[in-house]
Amino acid sequence: MDRRTVLKGGAIVAGSVVGAALPVINPLGARAGRDYDTPKSKNVDRVVRTTCSPNCTGSCGQIAFVRDGKIVKIQQAADYPDTVYNPRGCMKGLSYANHIYGKDRILAPLIRTGERGSGEFREATWDEALDEMASRLRRIGEAWGWDSIHLFDQVPGSGYVQKGSNYRAGAALGMIHGTSFDFNGDLPMGMPITFGVQNAEHEAKDWANSRFLLLIGSNPVETRIPDIHFIFDAIEAGAKLVVVDPNYSPTATKADLWLPIRPGTDAALALAMANHILVADLADLDFMRRYSDAPLLVRMDTGKRLREADLVADGATDRFVAWDETTGTTVIVGTDKLGAPGGRAALEGRFTITLAGGSTVEATPGFALVRAELDSWTPERAAGICELSAEDIVKVARAYATTKPAAILMGGGSNHWYHGDLTGRALALLASLTGNVGRSGGGFSVYVGQYKVRVNTAPWYNIGEQAEIKAKIVPSVYFAHGRTETMHPEVPYPEHGWHGLVCSFANLFVQGMDLNHFHETLAKLDLIVVIDHQRTHTVEWADIVLPATTWYEKTDLTATPLHPYLQLQQAAIDPVGKSRSELSIWREVIRRIDPAIADAWFAMDEDDAIRAILDAGGGPGGPTEGITLEQLREGPVRLRVHDPDIAFWDQIENLTPFPPRSLPAPLEKTAAFIPTRRIEFYKEDDRFIELGEAVPTYKPPFDDTVHDPADWPLTLLSPHSKWRIHSSYANNPWLTEIHGERPTVQMHPDDAAARGIATDDTVEVFNTRGSLEAWAHVTPGSRRGAATLYEGWWPRQFRKGKGVNELTSSAINPIHEIHNLANMWAPSTGWKDCRVEVRKAGD
Amino acid sequence: MADGINPIDALPPASRAYGEIGPHSDRPRWGMVVDEERCIGCWSCAVICKSENDIPLGNWWNRILTDGEALDTPAEQNGALEMHWLPLACQHCENAPCVKVCPVGATYHRDDGIVMMDTDRCIGCRYCMIACPYGVRVFNWGAAELPVPFDHGMVDARPVGTVEKCTMCVHRLADSQVPSCVWSCPAEARIFGDLNDPESRPNRLIRDREGYALLEDLGTKPNVHYLPPRRKAQL
Amino acid sequence: MSAGAVPASATTPSRGRISRGLVLWVLCLGAVIATGLAAWIYQLSHGLIVTGLRNTVMWGQYILFFMFFVGLSAGGLIVASAGRLFGVRIFKPIARLAVLEATVAIILAATFVLPDLGRPDRVLNILLHANFTSPMVWDISIVFVYMALSAIYVWLYTRADLARAGSPLAFGTKDTEASRARDERLKSRLAWVALPSAILLHSITAWIFGLQISRGFWYSAIMAPMFISSALVSGLALVILLALVLRHFGRVTFRDELVAFLGGMLGVFVAVEAFFVFSEILTASYPGAPTEADPIHRLLTGPYAPLFWFEAVVGLLIPFGILAVRHFRTNVRWVATASVIAVVGIFVHRLNLILNGLSYVPIGMPPGVSIGAPQGAVPSFAEVYWYVPTIVEWLVVIGILGIGALIFTIAVLVLPLQEPEDH
Repeated sequence: MDRRTVLKGGAIVAGSVVGAALPVINPLGARAGRDYDTPKSKNVDRVVRTTCSPNCTGSCGQIAFVRDGKIVKIQQAADYPDTVYNPRGCMKGLSYANHIYGKDRILAPLIRTGERGSGEFREATWDEALDEMASRLRRIGEAWGWDSIHLFDQVPGSGYVQKGSNYRAGAALGMIHGTSFDFNGDLPMGMPITFGVQNAEHEAKDWANSRFLLLIGSNPVETRIPDIHFIFDAIEAGAKLVVVDPNYSPTATKADLWLPIRPGTDAALALAMANHILVADLADLDFMRRYSDAPLLVRMDTGKRLREADLVADGATDRFVAWDETTGTTVIVGTDKLGAPGGRAALEGRFTITLAGGSTVEATPGFALVRAELDSWTPERAAGICELSAEDIVKVARAYATTKPAAILMGGGSNHWYHGDLTGRALALLASLTGNVGRSGGGFSVYVGQYKVRVNTAPWYNIGEQAEIKAKIVPSVYFAHGRTETMHPEVPYPEHGWHGLVCSFANLFVQGMDLNHFHETLAKLDLIVVIDHQRTHTVEWADIVLPATTWYEKTDLTATPLHPYLQLQQAAIDPVGKSRSELSIWREVIRRIDPAIADAWFAMDEDDAIRAILDAGGGPGGPTEGITLEQLREGPVRLRVHDPDIAFWDQIENLTPFPPRSLPAPLEKTAAFIPTRRIEFYKEDDRFIELGEAVPTYKPPFDDTVHDPADWPLTLLSPHSKWRIHSSYANNPWLTEIHGERPTVQMHPDDAAARGIATDDTVEVFNTRGSLEAWAHVTPGSRRGAATLYEGWWPRQFRKGKGVNELTSSAINPIHEIHNLANMWAPSTGWKDCRVEVRKAGD
Repeated sequence: MADGINPIDALPPASRAYGEIGPHSDRPRWGMVVDEERCIGCWSCAVICKSENDIPLGNWWNRILTDGEALDTPAEQNGALEMHWLPLACQHCENAPCVKVCPVGATYHRDDGIVMMDTDRCIGCRYCMIACPYGVRVFNWGAAELPVPFDHGMVDARPVGTVEKCTMCVHRLADSQVPSCVWSCPAEARIFGDLNDPESRPNRLIRDREGYALLEDLGTKPNVHYLPPRRKAQL
Repeated sequence: MSAGAVPASATTPSRGRISRGLVLWVLCLGAVIATGLAAWIYQLSHGLIVTGLRNTVMWGQYILFFMFFVGLSAGGLIVASAGRLFGVRIFKPIARLAVLEATVAIILAATFVLPDLGRPDRVLNILLHANFTSPMVWDISIVFVYMALSAIYVWLYTRADLARAGSPLAFGTKDTEASRARDERLKSRLAWVALPSAILLHSITAWIFGLQISRGFWYSAIMAPMFISSALVSGLALVILLALVLRHFGRVTFRDELVAFLGGMLGVFVAVEAFFVFSEILTASYPGAPTEADPIHRLLTGPYAPLFWFEAVVGLLIPFGILAVRHFRTNVRWVATASVIAVVGIFVHRLNLILNGLSYVPIGMPPGVSIGAPQGAVPSFAEVYWYVPTIVEWLVVIGILGIGALIFTIAVLVLPLQEPEDH
């Protein structure tokens, strides 16, 4: 239907007066009329099945409807063979075309002409931009070493091929790849500490099998939109829902009981629940004997575990010792298989053990040490710290322990703290004490962050005949804020410091923590290259900007922690503007630096890469066994995992020692986190003991030591918004039409009144690290003593300042530096560990 | 209309099966049930509606009201906080005030109960917008502002100067596919079906879950029904 | 100017009496009309986006003036036909003026609808596809019936004089005793149609609003009586004012007693109007049911309180006070003052009707209704919308008022408005 002038009829009415003038002055060029009771949808050229895979972790199948070479609609594919997963998707994915064709899309390479950060660029040809990038990278590489170039992207797990090309380029040239899972604070350090894994969770559909859901610091109504129905499915089947959140979050609205906890005290709640479970004799102690380090004896003199080598001269150091109450003797516990040691292993008591040399030592089961700590965490004590009622804590503890299966979902609200690891450990303890680990409908899961590598990426991430050459990795917090005294000595921190940054698909200069400090680092860099599809604030700071294709314009392979389907991203349209994929960009950059490397390692295209990945994981029992690229082109294919995919299922069912492998790391790397190869609640490393964290405990928020609560009375919470995925979608016109483009600081009416603040007032939020100005939103749903500013707004949307991360902390917990395994045991940052004050802003 | 292929026909078989309306009576009266317990206020239904129907910026056929103080903000009553969401689009009333008042019959009932708009006949008097007690009709005030530089969606754009609203995606019903909002609701809060069939899912839910219609006392007899939020359980 | 001898010019058409002031006046009107037309063309080419109207308040200035002028017109004809029906001869000197005023007002009322339409090019659809359940169709019908009746009335009143003066507007009829008698007969018979038409016109216009259960403020049986009473107030007040103006220009003559009589009548109408307003407010607010009471609270103490209390005090109380007192009623200036503020009061009453009826969207939960245009940094939704007419709307409205003034001016010039004293 052609587009006639809007008011042809208007012309008729006015015709006698203005005659032919109207069509000339009518600028609408507008929409034709019709009876829209049409029989059918308008035709399209084609539909393309692809996968929405931003940094939400959702990995939702989408269908792009293409007409005249343009995407005219994006809708959930809803084609998962396991139909409970349909439709999968949310309003952000559905409105993504607004970014593909939006005002902020970068259409051509840009080279900076003005000051850094001025946003002044000139358009360049690809040749020009690539030549410039290649020559400047080479200059840095030759002058300072290639390891002084930091590659940063968000987030590798969301696209194995394109994001993997960054790793591959790092491997090829010796550049350092950064991290995101730990940098983003999403790495739940309680997991590697307790279970020896990077993270492990139940696939989302297993929520529906639960009869009791404890959501702590987790707001899936806003942040797990595609999966939230599983919680409603569980409720409809009779499950109870308890939500622990300082604010009356949208998830709390659905809860049977909401516990408005004081921010940063979740561990105390968990410890008190564990206390009550033990006191009320509701614990599954056999589970603890069978799967955890509870029965393993700890020497009272050193605080280290008693090993076989302690008892006999030729004993092994990786075999441990328990006390069999039935025989009154020690029993050796190997690491080859789980199971309860001896007849009945002691969990309490002190035993005098004769060592190999003949001397004796006092030893006690690890669990006794855990219990000793728990005994001090009475519900009354926790109630005071958490500002909850002891009755509620007991009520929840009892319900959690007596309703099986019961699941714990821990969110960023609990994890994004300096001591988030302690919270994770305490919750893991709860799940283990009640025997919920490894059980369908149970478990302790953390879904924050797209970390999960479900396939064998080695042949793509790495180069070399045996894929043995890997990019060196340095946790990006050391890039942003420099090294710490306690940094693990094996971290390959560049000898000459950082000189270059290639940042792709990341709004690093807004979404990094402690921005004012971070920008000092950035100012010292010789080269900043940004590869992205939208003109984010980070782009404004680049020297060279390369326009990248969106996932509707390129091919990739993706998976998620939330469901075990492997999926393709398939190009639905030609690249918009002059944009190119990351792989093709690297291929061209490396060709300019060293054609031989390019020919050897960058001749592969996306399909080759996917085939290599599928093959590598395709052996018997491998995750991609029998899965072909052709199958994936048709739709999602379930990886070869147990159904339902449950964390530690194999350990609990088959007594396979912990940990399951965390791809892509070799098993021995993560197994080193838990030498007992059991669930570890007692940590014997020196630093744990020195810091008083050998057993799960509670410590007050770290930022209280930086910002005295007496002077900085408000805790600033910066949760994930449903309207954005971090800073993505902050500029989506459909979404901003709904909620506006004004960052709001939510405050309780009492806190607001004390400061003379009303809704829509402009307010300044500040601490010693920075200051911003936004708009107040006074709501009874906000907790007293907390201010909430959903993260991810763009600086241009604030009244003043760079955004919430001017205020956030980059403090690193030395516990996270005990081992060095990027994204797995590495410094996990604490966004919520942040105290501020709020006052009315001036004009 | 350009050549090409019907987008429903082009769907992967599994997708198409997902969207099938399913069994219904010979003379269906299409209706919908919206579960307030399941609604999470994500606006996916509203966004896909914009996308599907090429609705310009500033206009929404479908929106999610917050039963609270402000958008996504609870209200405090007797010391207790409460918040629910109420998705709202055309209720497709059997006794539709808009149909009554339209001076030119541009808004009318189809045999299947859907209240339709003929934007080729509409004179743009906006009386129907006055008459609608649900406030679900919108007007094309000026040239369409779109977030992308072309017309999107699966239906033609409507002319400036006319009123438009939810059509229950009649263009999809023609291919036995549920409306797009039903398809896209991630919380599965929208259930579509034949209200003339006493055993249809919507009818069963209305019976089992004390379904109600909005502004029932006005006698508009909507074909859209709501399931109230559940009572909270005791631990 | 005092009543007394009738100037000969007043009973005859006034061709040839074109003063410089008149030329200037007509030129001014021409400019106003041209500007209004240009504004409308601008609106046509851009759409109603150039108005202050949106999905939230979808009717505004144009509909406000439509109903205001419907009111003015009904008032005029009621004066004329009531005078005839009930034999109130005292109206006679201004009867022609009244029917002329009614005619012009109803033409204007109908005209005001046109720019309100999104698709004026399709206005004929109302004939082609009329939907008779729509009060708007009833209203358009009655508007045209009423317009025709008014025009016929004007002609019947002036025909004999026109014929006598040889005007082509007499359409070839002669001024004879028989024809005059026939005029009188027709006028009398027509009155039996005209008065009910006038009442119906106003009732139906009221029902456009009053039948809408969607709008708590409007949904009331008193709407039609109140529209009639407010029409009587504004219509009569305008007739008084026009009569005084035209007497000033020597186009009509009447005695001051007539002004006092009309003033007294106006006082009664004002009292009736006030009674209806009070009754409505009491009925709506007494039960305290939100749909009805909320709009009343907004009126009494809320955002519309200034307008409402202006209407109540300045528009009703003060005119009644003036007109109830014989001393003031017999003073032309006081009656004129009361008339002016009564007209303004009715205008404000109707303004309140529109604003209070529409500003608060139905199902008032956040974020409300999509406004109809993107709003920049703030959401495109509103629960409450403060409608302010744009310059385009003002220019269009003023242009249409200009058309009315022009028609009236021409009519005053070409029609014999002065009824000869009883023969």
